[in-house]
Amino acid sequence: MSERAATPTSSGPGRVLIAVYAIFALSATARAGVQIATKFSEAPAAYLLSAFAGVVYILATIGLAGSGPGRRRLAWIAVGIELVGVLAVGTLTALDTADFPSDTVWSLYGRGYGFVPLVLPLIGLWWLRHTRGR
Amino acid sequence: MIGVLVIVVYVATGLLALYGLVRTAQGRHPGRDIRIGVGIVEVLLVVQAAIAAYRVLGGGVTLPEQGTFLIYLVVSICVLPIGMQFAVTEPTTRWGGAVVTVAAIGTGVAVWRLAELWAAANV
Repeated sequence: MSERAATPTSSGPGRVLIAVYAIFALSATARAGVQIATKFSEAPAAYLLSAFAGVVYILATIGLAGSGPGRRRLAWIAVGIELVGVLAVGTLTALDTADFPSDTVWSLYGRGYGFVPLVLPLIGLWWLRHTRGR
Repeated sequence: MIGVLVIVVYVATGLLALYGLVRTAQGRHPGRDIRIGVGIVEVLLVVQAAIAAYRVLGGGVTLPEQGTFLIYLVVSICVLPIGMQFAVTEPTTRWGGAVVTVAAIGTGVAVWRLAELWAAANV
């Protein structure tokens, strides 16, 4: 068994992944920012959740775009939280629930965004695993 | 917004997205051709944004979600240049074209949301 060093997550197809993450980071944070600034009282939980999702996307983008073990750890954590978040929020919203407002990135497993929010963390985790050293 | 211009922008971003994919499939790094393509689409986007911003801020069109609209307007013109820069900074890879594809699709979605918000105002 030969040792293999970790390859950067930001090269090759990783750049495409980072581009998708960056767009989600930008749109989720911008949207949450407007919602919190203009109509926070309508659905505070949903808008705070949108903002949280935006921050998670920003951290995942920073982690994936960087190099070194610290950035890689950040990417693992952020993408992991993203997967748990989309599964938890997706399930809660799918089971109905009157008290859970539906307009966040992760609602109904990201249906409003073509289910990209559900697929993205799976690809992200696979890519982190694929590029790690062993 | 201007109906015809929105359609032209959809077609242009769609073609750019396809071309990026073709480039990646061919294994070729994005070069001058993609820069020209991005430049053309960007001019269309800036013209559209200028007209829309003028009509919202100075022309008396009132939108229900004006803040969101203006942010999407900024996003629609910013994503492609940033994506383009990100696509060409790694010179040895074939994946730059696909990065431009992602940026073009993101821009198309932003324009689609803009058109929706505009339609909600019934103008």
